[in-house]
Amino acid sequence: MYLLAFKIFLRNKATYWSIALLLVTGIASIHIGKKFVEKQTHMIEKTAQIQKDHIKKHVGFFNKEMGLLMYYLRFSVVNQPPMLSAIAIGQRDINPAVTGVTIRNLNEQIYDTDLNNPSSLLLGNLDLNFVFIYLFPLIIIVFCYNIVSEEREKGIWGLTKIQSKSVMQVIWMQFSIRMLVIYGVAILLIAFAAIYLPLPVNKPLVASIILLFAYLLFWFAIAFLIVSFGKTSNYNTITLLTVWITLNIIGPAFLNLWVTNKYNMPEALETVIHQREGYHEKWDIEKQVTMNKFYAHYPQFKAYVLPKKEFSWLWYYAMQQMGDDDAQQSADQMLQKTIKREQFTQRASLFMPSLYAQLQLNEFAQSDLNNHLHYLQSVKKYHEKLRLDFYPLIFGEKPVNSINWNAFEMKRFTETSSIGLTQTVLPLLLYTFLFGILGLFFMKKTLFKL
Amino acid sequence: MSFHKIFLIAKLTWITALKSRATLILTLVLGIALFAATYIGWQNFKTQNDQRTKYKALVREKWLAKPDKHPHRMAHYGYLAFRPKHELSFFDFGIESFAGVSIFLEAHKQNTVNFSESSFSNGIIRFGEMSIAMILQVLVPLLIFFLGYKSISAERENGTLKILFCQGVKWSELLLGKIVGIISVSFVLFIPVICITILLWAMLSNWQVSTDAAQRLIFLLTGYALYFIICSCLAVLVSAWHRTSRGALTVLVVLWIIFIVILPKATQSLGTQLYPSPSKIEFNAAIEKELSKQGDSHNPNDPHYEQFKKDILKKYKVDSTSQLSVNYGGLVMAEGERISAQIYQQHQNRLVQTYIKQNSFTRAAAFLNPYLAIKNLSMALTGADYANYLDFQNQTEKFRYDLAQKMNALQIEHISNVKQGENDKPYTISHKYWSELPDFKYQFKTINWVLKNEVYSVVALMVWFTLLMTLLFTITKKLKTL
Repeated sequence: MYLLAFKIFLRNKATYWSIALLLVTGIASIHIGKKFVEKQTHMIEKTAQIQKDHIKKHVGFFNKEMGLLMYYLRFSVVNQPPMLSAIAIGQRDINPAVTGVTIRNLNEQIYDTDLNNPSSLLLGNLDLNFVFIYLFPLIIIVFCYNIVSEEREKGIWGLTKIQSKSVMQVIWMQFSIRMLVIYGVAILLIAFAAIYLPLPVNKPLVASIILLFAYLLFWFAIAFLIVSFGKTSNYNTITLLTVWITLNIIGPAFLNLWVTNKYNMPEALETVIHQREGYHEKWDIEKQVTMNKFYAHYPQFKAYVLPKKEFSWLWYYAMQQMGDDDAQQSADQMLQKTIKREQFTQRASLFMPSLYAQLQLNEFAQSDLNNHLHYLQSVKKYHEKLRLDFYPLIFGEKPVNSINWNAFEMKRFTETSSIGLTQTVLPLLLYTFLFGILGLFFMKKTLFKL
Repeated sequence: MSFHKIFLIAKLTWITALKSRATLILTLVLGIALFAATYIGWQNFKTQNDQRTKYKALVREKWLAKPDKHPHRMAHYGYLAFRPKHELSFFDFGIESFAGVSIFLEAHKQNTVNFSESSFSNGIIRFGEMSIAMILQVLVPLLIFFLGYKSISAERENGTLKILFCQGVKWSELLLGKIVGIISVSFVLFIPVICITILLWAMLSNWQVSTDAAQRLIFLLTGYALYFIICSCLAVLVSAWHRTSRGALTVLVVLWIIFIVILPKATQSLGTQLYPSPSKIEFNAAIEKELSKQGDSHNPNDPHYEQFKKDILKKYKVDSTSQLSVNYGGLVMAEGERISAQIYQQHQNRLVQTYIKQNSFTRAAAFLNPYLAIKNLSMALTGADYANYLDFQNQTEKFRYDLAQKMNALQIEHISNVKQGENDKPYTISHKYWSELPDFKYQFKTINWVLKNEVYSVVALMVWFTLLMTLLFTITKKLKTL
């Protein structure tokens, strides 16, 4: 009987097309993800070469003054995307993977974006994440909207009912067939991704798979709940689609609007203005004022005093430093606000499973905002280290060839956050459980009596 | 064809639609969503634009307040430009949140436009943004499909279709009547939106309405009306074609999913795959390479600048640059700026061409997908599309170039050509010159420019409309009453 029901389900044209759609978009999306990661990796490797050439060329050219050379020298920090980000591109297309900085005013450089086509950013990437978060639930809806209702509409529900031990068994059979197909397709796609990309088997991958499976289960629970109302197929379709739209479009879109409004970012523009004024106004004020501020920031450089010249690199870099110091407050505020935004969205996402799953998957794939913020922090840290290394060389007017320039290779940032597996899937399982119980409750009330 | 009959059928459709609780709830929910989106969208527009205006004024103030300086210092001090939002952009956000807001304009260097809203987002923004346009483009069609899927098929299932024909109703009258009925229900949502939009927009422009904005709005509203008509026709035609309501509903839902969820992403992905664009580091490396080929002003033995020097000496009839009455350094910088800006522009144009090619698939897909047609048209009319953003970038680059060359000209003319010792105070010129550089003011393009860019979208909407109308009158021969 089970096999027969399975055959009937598979023979349906809609089932065919649905599976084909999932497979085609799924495979295309994996390919798109692969291309994306390849492009970024290629760019990163190129950056390593460009940095080498850049340093060599400039060291040869500006070989008289360390101060002048360091005005030009650019050092890159890159955020290498892990292979897993091929299936969850997340924010990686928006945030730059390569940041090059000179030891000058950091706040002028660190927010520079990469070159992007905003139309592509708007429409978003067709990655596997999208296929799972958007399309799988839709196909689950297509598969499940007519459970029980179709038999009723065809007038064979009574027949079906008496042929099996219990109503529950019939419904369970119908659902399990569909789950088998959906999970089968899901496993197929993940297996394809694992081989084609290829994906290393590690904790983030396992976590992503478990999360995706829980997410699909959540949608089956919703379908079960709606089916349990015992209404018509049309009612089920419309209701399920409305739920889908609410969870996948309207809910997140409203939340986004709310967050944008609540945490709007005048600090960003403020930071730009402050860093620019902070540096440039120093050209017009007494040199010693700038130097005193600089010595207050870096007492270790007090030994270097201003030479009796109109221009000196000590003064110049002290001025540049002031650009950062004056923008520090608004830059910190901007960062704090971004973190608050992130936290607020994280909390709110507990009520929106689709958003929740998306954010978690991005986190596993290191393509979320937090990853970018950590990366920016590492750029900041590296920039500071460069300053501390080079300031004494510049101020001490050391010759350019006194150091080994080959040692300055492109720096790679690595994420060190950890994954808590149980707490990650818990919300989705809770919802699944809740809707499952509710569904059973309604079913007792409605379907058993039909 | 009898208009009286069409009207009667439309009226009946309208009444049954509004009687249905599901429709009423959906309409109400959409109405509330629209209201909320309008309100928050408008607030958002105001805060952001106010901020940008405020900082824009501050930038100008600081520029004018700079003391006497060497003009080249001012060229490096540069200018900050903030991209203003179009007054209609509260209606449709378009690419707004994905495009940068602030750009630093300085001599020698073209910077990126930074701080897009999406760079502060953790990914929630990728689910879409709630705006009036989004509701009208994405949700209202679904409502129309829900309203329309039963329109003919239910009559067929109930057997009332035959009765209708017995009463002398023609197929075309029936179809038209149903369509008019469904359109009028969707207009229950649309008309208040129109009114609020007009009101808000008038308020935003301080009740001083420019003809350009008014024309934009008229086109916008006509576009959406056409879009709803197209959706209604689709719904009724599918319903007439399918034997059962269930079949009709399935087809319509699948259409909606393909049009709105899958196709836009798919076509854009195809474009980006086929026309890969360079990253910034590659872009800059390419420019740098060409620049060093064309001439390096830092290199005293560079052939280009050697020739440049000769020409200058000849022009001023002197033997060495130190005898020049004008500032030679300024002349060299002006030449350097000219060359680097030219090379940059060539690369930038190539990049833009690549982006336009990437977008071309999505644009062409408007003929397959009315959603993309209205989406592109709506973004363009509300000043929130890529063409508009590109125009902003072009205007800032022009301003940047003019700023740099203005400062070079001041240096050439007013800065002494005599080399200074290391203890001399640097040369300066009066701060009065700073006001000679006008403020950066972004000028939105006119509607003619917009429509010229959007010919495709407009034609696509027309084609859809004509096609469905023709279908409406020809398909009737193939339709079955049973």
